[in-house]
Amino acid sequence: MPENAGYYHAAYALTATIYAAYAISIWWRGRRVRERLKGTSARD
Amino acid sequence: MTSSVAARDSLESRTQSGIAPVFDWFLVAAGAAVIGTLVRAMAFTPVELRQGPAQKIFYVHAPSAWVAFLAFGLVAVAGLLYLWLRDLRLDRFAESSAEVGVVFTTVVLITGPLWGRPVWGTWWTWDARLTLTLFLWFVYAGYLVLRGAIDNQEQRARYSAVLGALGALLIPFIHLSVYMFRTLHPQPIVMKPGAPSLPNEMLVTLLMAFASFTLLYVALLRARYRLSEARSALAHQEGGDA
Repeated sequence: MPENAGYYHAAYALTATIYAAYAISIWWRGRRVRERLKGTSARD
Repeated sequence: MTSSVAARDSLESRTQSGIAPVFDWFLVAAGAAVIGTLVRAMAFTPVELRQGPAQKIFYVHAPSAWVAFLAFGLVAVAGLLYLWLRDLRLDRFAESSAEVGVVFTTVVLITGPLWGRPVWGTWWTWDARLTLTLFLWFVYAGYLVLRGAIDNQEQRARYSAVLGALGALLIPFIHLSVYMFRTLHPQPIVMKPGAPSLPNEMLVTLLMAFASFTLLYVALLRARYRLSEARSALAHQEGGDA
């Protein structure tokens, strides 16, 4: 059997990193929008 | 036209307190399902003898491709419905699904070469399926860039609905490309006429992966849609277009 486990470990690690990073980016952008919303509400 | 679109956009009247939080238990459940699937694939699924452990890349590559097709298919449906109904919620849905679809396609384009290198002996080949999948990524990356370049909400929704619907025409070509052209890419082993050609243990893992990645898509789509809603409410408060 070929010894190529490194490729699949890299693929799983990259997959998990990309999905987690994307989820964090949504959370981060959401937080910034909420802060701005809070700012505009306070001004009103 | 502007007033009718605005009238149908229920969000315009929302206040900050009416915006749902971006994340909730659903994303946590989807993340746990994906982790469970990866653990099963790594520890409890047999290794294919000819390809070796690299074959396990298949359990993230194929479900990510399925979700990308689903996401872009829904962009097309939502875009066409927007052109008919002019409801901005459909435009927000299409935008959200396109962004999530681009992320899943990115995973497809990264995991594919990681499997191709040990099995084919090359990272990339310009065969029909790989090239068309790369085009699909460019079309929807372009879709997102286009949206960022247009300030007028209605114009942005209309142009991107047309591009989103046209881009999805690539999907059947990508799926059928392994039958239509001479290609290195393996033929479908589940999404094909007849029974799946996989041993049971591998098939169960693959079906779990399809289910958990679809769940992850729905969770990310919900979160991204809520972000669009919050942006729209902010634009309304600031008196501009979202």
